[in-house]
This record gives sequence, C-alpha cells and structure tokens, in this order.
Amino acid sequence: MSAEKLSVVGRPAPKVDGPELVTGRARFAADFNFPGMLYGCARRAGVPAGRIRSIDTAEALQVPGAAAVLTGGDIPGPNLIGILPPYDQPLLATEEVRYEGESLALAVATTREAARRAAAAVRVRIDPLPPILTLEEALAAGARRIHPNGNITYQKKLVKGDVNRGFAQAEVVVENTYRTSFQEHAYMEPEAAVAVPGGDGRITVYASCQSPFHLRGHIAANLGVPASRVRVIQAYTGGSFGGKDDVATEIGSLAALAAVRCGAPVMIAHERAESIIGSNLRHAARIRYRTGARRDGTLVARQAEILLDGGAYASESPFVTLKALTHAAGPYLVPNVYVEAATVYTNKTYCGAFRGFGVPQVTFASESQLDELALELRMDPLELRRRNALKAGLPTATGQVFAQSVGLVQTIDRIAELRRAAGPPGGEAAGEPAGGTYPALRSTPGERYRFGRGVACLLHGISNGAEGVDVVGASVQVSQDGSALVGVGLTDFGQGSRTVYAQVASEVLGIPVERITVRQADTDSVHDSGPTVASRSTTVGGMAVLKAAREVAASLRAMAASMFKCPEDRVQLREGCAALAGQGEARIPLGEVAAAAYWSGLPLMHLAFSRAPDARFDHETHQGDVYIAYSFGTHLMDVRVDAWTGRVEVLRHLAAYDVGRAINPLLLEGQVEGGALIGFGLAHLERVETEGGHIQNANFADYALPTILDRLPTETLVVEDPNPTGPFGAKGVGEPPVAGTAAAFANAVADALGLRFTRLPITREDIVAGLEAGAAGGAAGPAGAKVKGKEAEHG
Amino acid sequence: MLLEFTCNGSPVRLEAEPAMRALDLIRDRLGLTGTKEGCGRGECGACTILVDGRPLNACLLYAAKLQGREVLTVEGLARGAELHPLQVAFLEAGAVQCGYCTPGMLLSAKALLDRHPHPSLSQIEEALSGNLCRCTGYAKIVRAVERAADRLHAQGAAPGAQRRPAAGGGRA
Amino acid sequence: MEYLVPASIAEALRLVGEEAARGRRARFLAGGTDLAVQLADGAPAPDALVDLSGLPELRGLRLEGDGLSIGAAVTLEELALRADLPACLVQGARAIGSPQIRCLGTIGGNLCNASPCGDTLTPVIALDGRLVLLSEGGRREVTAGEFFTGPKATVLREGELLSEVLFGARALRGGSAFRMIGKRNGQAISQVNVAVWLECDPDSGAIREVRAAAGSVAPTPIRLARAEALLRGQVAGEELEREAAGAAAEEIRPISDVRASAGYRRAVTAALLREALAQALAEARAGRA
Repeated sequence: MSAEKLSVVGRPAPKVDGPELVTGRARFAADFNFPGMLYGCARRAGVPAGRIRSIDTAEALQVPGAAAVLTGGDIPGPNLIGILPPYDQPLLATEEVRYEGESLALAVATTREAARRAAAAVRVRIDPLPPILTLEEALAAGARRIHPNGNITYQKKLVKGDVNRGFAQAEVVVENTYRTSFQEHAYMEPEAAVAVPGGDGRITVYASCQSPFHLRGHIAANLGVPASRVRVIQAYTGGSFGGKDDVATEIGSLAALAAVRCGAPVMIAHERAESIIGSNLRHAARIRYRTGARRDGTLVARQAEILLDGGAYASESPFVTLKALTHAAGPYLVPNVYVEAATVYTNKTYCGAFRGFGVPQVTFASESQLDELALELRMDPLELRRRNALKAGLPTATGQVFAQSVGLVQTIDRIAELRRAAGPPGGEAAGEPAGGTYPALRSTPGERYRFGRGVACLLHGISNGAEGVDVVGASVQVSQDGSALVGVGLTDFGQGSRTVYAQVASEVLGIPVERITVRQADTDSVHDSGPTVASRSTTVGGMAVLKAAREVAASLRAMAASMFKCPEDRVQLREGCAALAGQGEARIPLGEVAAAAYWSGLPLMHLAFSRAPDARFDHETHQGDVYIAYSFGTHLMDVRVDAWTGRVEVLRHLAAYDVGRAINPLLLEGQVEGGALIGFGLAHLERVETEGGHIQNANFADYALPTILDRLPTETLVVEDPNPTGPFGAKGVGEPPVAGTAAAFANAVADALGLRFTRLPITREDIVAGLEAGAAGGAAGPAGAKVKGKEAEHG
Repeated sequence: MLLEFTCNGSPVRLEAEPAMRALDLIRDRLGLTGTKEGCGRGECGACTILVDGRPLNACLLYAAKLQGREVLTVEGLARGAELHPLQVAFLEAGAVQCGYCTPGMLLSAKALLDRHPHPSLSQIEEALSGNLCRCTGYAKIVRAVERAADRLHAQGAAPGAQRRPAAGGGRA
Repeated sequence: MEYLVPASIAEALRLVGEEAARGRRARFLAGGTDLAVQLADGAPAPDALVDLSGLPELRGLRLEGDGLSIGAAVTLEELALRADLPACLVQGARAIGSPQIRCLGTIGGNLCNASPCGDTLTPVIALDGRLVLLSEGGRREVTAGEFFTGPKATVLREGELLSEVLFGARALRGGSAFRMIGKRNGQAISQVNVAVWLECDPDSGAIREVRAAAGSVAPTPIRLARAEALLRGQVAGEELEREAAGAAAEEIRPISDVRASAGYRRAVTAALLREALAQALAEARAGRA
C-alpha cells in the first residue's frame, strides 16, 4: 500500500464544505427555524450537592408564553443518559443533586426569553449536603457516597514484568507528583439541538454533535419508543473535541420529549456560561510517578498512580482511565511497568472526552520524568528518548508488537536535525553554545529574560481499541451522470473528515472531488458507526469509504471493460474517465460508463461496513493488542520567559508526527496547529477555577482562551510509516499534538528557569511566584517548585 | 420603534424593540443566520458585523443604534456567486475548520483591509484580536488575510489609506 | 425597557429627571458595552435607557496648545488611533478589549463604569484630568482622583452625567506611558495597570514632576505617592527606578481574586512601573520635555 502512486490522496484539497461555511449559508443547529417552533431552557440546581425535596412548576407555567414545564416524572423512559454503562446520569434529576449544573426541569415557551423566565420561575427546594470537592475527600474512609456504589467511578491496573525487581536494578531513580487542572472545551458554538416531530410518527433531531447514533439510542430510550422512530441528523457542528455528546444527548432527548409533549418543534440552545458549567470538562489529574534507569539511560522500570477527578457523573471516564493507563509509560521500551489508574467522583462538573482523552495528563507526567532523569544523568534529553524509543518489533507497555508503522525514531531524527541547524534557543543573544549538555541555563539568574528549550515524545492509540467494538458504516452511490454521493456514520465538526472521505472515494472511483458530495451524518442512512472519537475518522471511517467505493468501482470497471472489449484489469478509473491502460487516447467519460452500467443492471451503490481488527487483551493486567495502531510524535519548543512578569513567548515550536500517510497535508497541518494551541492552553493559560463547587470563571474573559496574539509558531513535520489498518496507510493525528505541546512547554520552562513546575497550567503568576520562592530559598529545582498562590480544588 | 437602515446594500424597514440585541434582529427578524452567537458578552467576536465599516459585537449592540446605518454581515460579502477575495483566501489557506468563527473573522479582516490595504503582521493580529478560534490555532487565518491583501492589491484596491501609529506599548 | 434618544444634553437631563419623578429608574447609555454584559449577567434592567452616543456635544475632541478636551462619548477606538494625544491615554485606550469593543465603548463609559481594572482610569489620573459633570442643577468639575470612590463607584449623583474630560497644558508636555498585564496577550483584562506621566528638566535631566497611578491594586485606582516622592527631583537611573518600583510594590493594597493573587499584583506593579518609567522618560527626553 505504501508505494502506490496516488493522484488525489496526498493533495491539499480544499474543504468540500468550505463555500457553505465562508458564506454563512451552513446551518448550525441554532440556525434552524421551523413553523411553530418553541424554545426550551433548563432550570439548573445552582448548588453542588443536595437532596431534592420538591420541584414546583406552577409559577413557571404562569409565565406569559410558557407552553410546558417538564420534570423527571414526565419522562416515559428510564430518565438516564451517559456515554457508557452504568448510564448513571439523570436527564432531569428528581432525587439528588450532584453538581451545580444539574438540570432539574425544562421550561418550554414561545420565545427564548420567556423560556428563560419560566425556567427561573421553577420553585426548587433542595437540602444541601456538604459537597465533596477533592480527591482526598472523595477517597477518605467513611466519605459520603456520591453514587450508590461509592466514589470510585472506575479503576484498572496495568502490569508488565516486575517493577520491584526493575527498581532494584535501577542505578538512578526519579520520583515526583504531578497535577493538571480542569480544562474547558470552549468550542465556539455552544451546544444546540432542535427536535421536529414528523407527521409519520417519527421525530427528527438536528443536533450539534459527534455521535448521532449514540444520541438516537438515548433519545429513543427516554421517549420510550423504538430507535427506528428516531432520526438524528448532524447539523454543521462548530467544534466539539469530544465535549458535545453528553450534552447533545441531554438536550436532544429533552427537546424530543418537549416536542412530543407540545406537538411542535422545540429548540434548545445553550448560553456560554451554561455550556461551561453544565457540560463536561477535561479530567483534572494527580499522578505520582517513579522512573528507574541505568546510568547509560536505559529505562528499567516505571511506576505510576493516576487519580483522575471526574466530577459528578461517569461520562467517558472508564475509557479515559483506560487510555491514561495504557499510555502512562510513554512511547518507550520499558521492561517493567506497574500503573494503577482510577477516576473518582466529586461534586463538580462531570468530566469526559476532550481531545487527548487522558493522554495529555500522563504525557506531561511521563515526559517531565524523562527530563528529570536526563538532568540526573547529565544526558541530552532527546538522546535519552531516542535510546529508549519504541521501534517496529518491540513490545509496548501492554505487550503489543507492531511489525510496521512505528515511526517514532524518524520523528526524533527530524527534530534532532532541525535542532542542530537552529542553534541554541534565543539565538546568539543567549550567548550559550549549541545543544548538548543539560541543563544549560541560558542566562544568569537576575537577568530578566531567560531562554529555554524543551522536547517531548509521545504515542497515541488510534481508534477505539480495547474500549469496544470498532465499526463504521459508509455508503457510496454513483449516479447516472457519473457524480457520487458519499455517506458516513461519523461526523465532521471542523477536522475535515468529509473532505478526506471525498478524496478517498475520488482516488478509488476516478471521479473528481468537485463531483463528489459527502452528506452529513444521518442515522437513517448507514450502519451504526459509534462515536467520532479517538482520531478514528480517517482510519476506520476512511476504510469504510474505501470498501464501499471499491465495490462501486468494480461495477464501473466491469462496464468499461465491456465497452472497451478488454479484460477488466486493464481498465483504469481516473480524472473523470475510464481509461485503457497503455493506450492513452482510449477514454470514456465516467458519466457514460455509469449510465451504461445502470442500464445494464450493474449495482452503483454500496453500503459498506468496516470493522477494525479486534483488540484482544486481559482485563486484569492490560497486556494485549489494545489498539489497531499508534501515532507517534516528537515536539520541540523554544521559549523566552520574562522573569519580571512571567510572560512566556514561544520562539519556536516543531511538531514531528508519524501519520502513516498524509491524506490531506493542509488539513493535517490544521489539526496539528489547532491541537497544539489547545495543549498550550492546558499548559499555560487555562484553568477552570472552582470554589465550594462553583465555577468562578464561566466566561471567555476570566477563562483565558488563547487569542490570535497568543498563537504558536507551530511547524508541522510529517513522517510517513504506513499503517496497514488505515486507508492508504493513514493514521489519525487530531489528538496527540495536545499532549505533546503541553509536555514540551513544561520542559522548556524548566530548562529556562532551572525550576520544575509539577502542576499545569504554569501561568505567568505561577512563574513569578516560583522564581520568588526559588530566590528566597524555598524548594526549587528538580524536586519540584513550591508555588505560592491559590490551591485548586483537585486534591 | 421604526428602524430604517441598510443591510448588505438593501434597505431595511421594520418595527422593532429598540433595546433588542442587533444580533437577534439580524438572525431572527432578517433571517440572516450567518452571524453567530458564541458568548453573548462581547468576548468571542463570533457575532462581529460591520456598521458603517466599523466592526462591532452584535450581541452588545442595541438595535436602536442601527438607525440610519450601513450594516454588513457575512451574507453581504460575496457578490452573487462570486466570493470575496477574503473568502477565497480563507478557503485556499485552510483557515476554515468548523467555520463557526469564520463569519466574524471575515468581517474583522474586511474592516482592516478597507482601512489598511497593506497591513503589517501586527495590524492583522490586532484587528483579529477580538475573534476567538478554537480549531485552527490562528496561523492559517493570518496567512489568509495576508493573501487576500496581496490579491486585493493586485486587483488595484485604493492605496494610501490612513496608517495606524506604530505599535508602541500598552501591553506588558 | 424604554429606549430614549435625546437630541441635546439638556433634553437628556430632563428625560432622566422626568423618569425619576415618575418613580422610574433611567440610566444613561453611551456604547452600552458594560451595561449589556451586566444585564446579561442578571442585573435588574432599568426602566429606561437614555442614549447619549449621538450627541455632538459629547463627541468632540479638542486639542489645543493650552489643553485637551475629550467628549465623554468619544469611542476608545477614536482615542487609540490618535498619535497626537498623550501616549499613556492612547495606550490605555488601545489596551481595552478588542477592536469591536473599542469601536463601541467610550471613554466616558469606561470612566463611569469605574471598574478597578479600567484602562483609561489610570492615564486620566496620571495626566491630572478633570471630569465635567452636568445635571439639571448645573455644572461641576472634579479631579480624576476625586471621581472614583470605590469599585464601580463614583461621585456621580442621580441624574448627573459626565460630559467631558479636560486636561491642562502640562499634560501635553513631558512624556507618559501606560502598561498593563493580563493572563494572556490579547483581549486581556488588566490584572494590574500602571500609567506614568513626567516632565524633565531640559538641562539636568532631573524629573521635575511625576504622577504615577496604578489600577486594580486597591479599591480605586491610586497614586503611587511613595514612588513619586522618590523620583521627584532626581535624575532617573536603573538604581532609582528599581527603588521606586520597590516602593510601589509596598504601598499598594492589592487583593487576591479570580484574576490574580495579591503577591503577583505586587510583583508586576513593580515591573510595570519600571517599564512605564523607562518609556515615559524616553519620550520626555526625545523632545517634548
């Protein structure tokens, strides 16, 4: 697959849905307007924990324009949602409040304002309970149980070899505790869904979402109707990054319930503060980590205890826990690994999937450890990583061996090459000799500007892996005029997957991309494809399109062979024509071929089902083939830190990724640049501040999202080590840049200041406080910086 | 209140609550849903429109303030099927991912190029500093604006617009 | 909520008086950027809004040899574009929000909102500005220092509006600078801001007079009196600047809140003062002294 010459795949084709987006024609969920449409607004608890004594809707119903007010008792189905079993989250809480954003009632009215007023008029009596706000409180003996089964959402172990023996062999051991904070997705489009009852007993829900089939299932269950009565169509979705599905299910179900009750379309569109408080966040983490190595840098043992603060409900915590578990050891050959990972319930906004999915948190810890080790060994941090890098044929932390597509060393080599050419960070102004020994304080303490360089390596498992079945449905239909319609059960929310599918289909069918339409995900049209997560759009999604396209191409080829009067294997489909190999002029436009094929009774549509190779593993030890492939990457970041203000300027950022095969280089860069900035936010700017279980900065001013003036000079370097399980060898790259950037940033700051911060984000304020503490003789250096300032509520 | 103003070159005349948000008037009353709501507090720029050539947050703007003005929304950028050079540049440069911030970005960029046909990098950054994007990381957006400026210049746009004073401090 | 668009200041004042007589609360409005956010956050809506933004008497900007007068409804963007106005005022206006906010927000609105982190507050104090307040009862002037009484609190009475900000000739001489810092580079709310104006003796180079103000480090923007005292009459140099910065860090009374800790505010006040001093001195020496 690797050496074939491709004409469409590999090109920077512009987005197929681009024109709709730049003209404002694209309809996002809140842009729909149906005759008689009503608006829904939720009444939320406002307290982080308590028992509900009563919910009184009488006053709310009196508000002018109010059409209905729903509570839990109005739900025919189980009144439960959740991404995974045990589906522990109520749609409308009736007994207990577990976080401040808990929905208790839905007010429906003729205008948005009336719905808000009605929601505010719902009278709620709650007996507050002392909220559980930290990991320690949640795990303490005798702690109040947030859920009947206790305060541990999910826990798992990973065991490889024997860590005790490993550490006994180690000549150098580094140990530290790391923390990361809650991060908000901050997609620019707040969640929205509109439910429209059809006259035929069915209901259609247009939703801003990632997982339309998941939505369909929950909507149907809560409505108490068969799934076949519900149709979910993905509206143009303004970003998601894993964050929308919990809420899309919630508001999709509520809108559908309201629509059935009122016999009218119902729209629910969130305001920003509601979106931040009410919808899922990235888990905060506390990670205790130990790494042992020999003097020559060979890793012999790694041990980690990972505690994730998952908030009030499970959401995707089980899978996030699993992914953190399997990625904690990093992209290295480590003979002895012991990891325990658990997610814990607290009375705060629940946490779920967010681009990276547990890998950013453990990568920060793991890569900080590597740098602390390099410091001890007085070794070049990049060389240390290269020495231990996974290669084809070597086992991962779960014992999985890949025969190919393990391009980590190539990414390290690319970075090393550019590092050599770049010289020291900050250039000659820094006055230090190029690369090599570590640490290299690039300016003397007391100087205002300090320069530093940090590297990070990582791996990221592609697709669902051992989390469960990994299937995608796709359809390809060619019309008599030779144009094609492609449908896939996965969603595009900006990453450009519709374009990738068009390119794949175009490559196989020979139909130009301009004559291919990729429809938006519609649960009526293809097989249940699960969620659009885990960077699986290109791999598993692309494979499904490939399969479907090949079937239809077979019909076209057979027809063309009959028209050319030649064997089928001499027919080529390209540039809108069927051509005869070896005879340049012999060419028939595909429109003619398709029409002839139709009239000859050959099938021109195929519904394909792509199933990723099964993951096989032992639930006790997590040894086994956990993912169909891993993407590998190496980052390098140069920073200039202003010791007076803590401001950090990123002077250089290189991100090298083994992507298997780049289907669309322009979109690929977009994914790396976008993911990198989210990682930068996690590492430097963003922190959800909570106090007493209340989020204090639920807006875009006090939650410091990066602006254009905060952007990174990211340069993407592509390495292609083809992946046999992806179309044309491709792997996904949407997620890993988040983790790599955050880890590289932490290492760069440590290099610049000679001070290691073990908590993310490392804000300007943290840097100034850390420098002051260091100057005053507080604990500083590799053991971890004592940082003054506010303690966050995550243990 | 009787409101009369021009929107995307066409006259508009309607009765509206003066204190309603211009954003709601444009989306709900005029049916122009290209202008988006991202935060409702003037912090994200998704609702950016041009009023007499100046970029404003429609979510903060009282409808009464549209009286007698020329309003431009994203729907008014293209001329029929012909896209504005900014729209073309955004598409070519890969500056559009989910597209939600795009209408606001385009209008802020247009306001910039109308005043500064040859903007410096720092002017581009400043002009777009009120438009948040979570998908692209911004780099391709900057490139798109540079590209559009070059194209418009090649097309012979009016030179010599008033230049901004050189960047000089303010932010640490 | 009624929306009233008066044709003159007199009418505006009268309308508010009439509403008050009817027991209704009317609020003056310029750009409305702060008001819209307050209402979105759930503040009770006033009974009437009186839109001043179009009144020509409030939109003037007069720069003459003997002084500068800025109408309250002059937008922040209009100020940000003026290379001929005192630097700290221009820089302060530029630091606010985003281009969209600056095209709608006004200097009057920023001053009357009196948020401790407002970026025009410290420049107006450093330039020794005077605020002209009009009511049906007449006209009065207060100094910028007297105008602010607490977080979001001013001496404005019911039915009174700010019509213009006046600066004397001295503010147009010398050099000035404004510095701020926030959590990020763009659209940053000031965790601290500092404005400095000074005048140097053309022969000795000594600082003849200096006014330094800091914002978001006390309930109102304050003068850094101790820092000023150290600088006055001295020839600036790194040693002196460091000393003055240290004094500033000690004399302020910052709190810790969701935006920044007190410790950080002290540290960056010192840093920002040093930067602002350096810039103001450079400008003063460059020829406007």
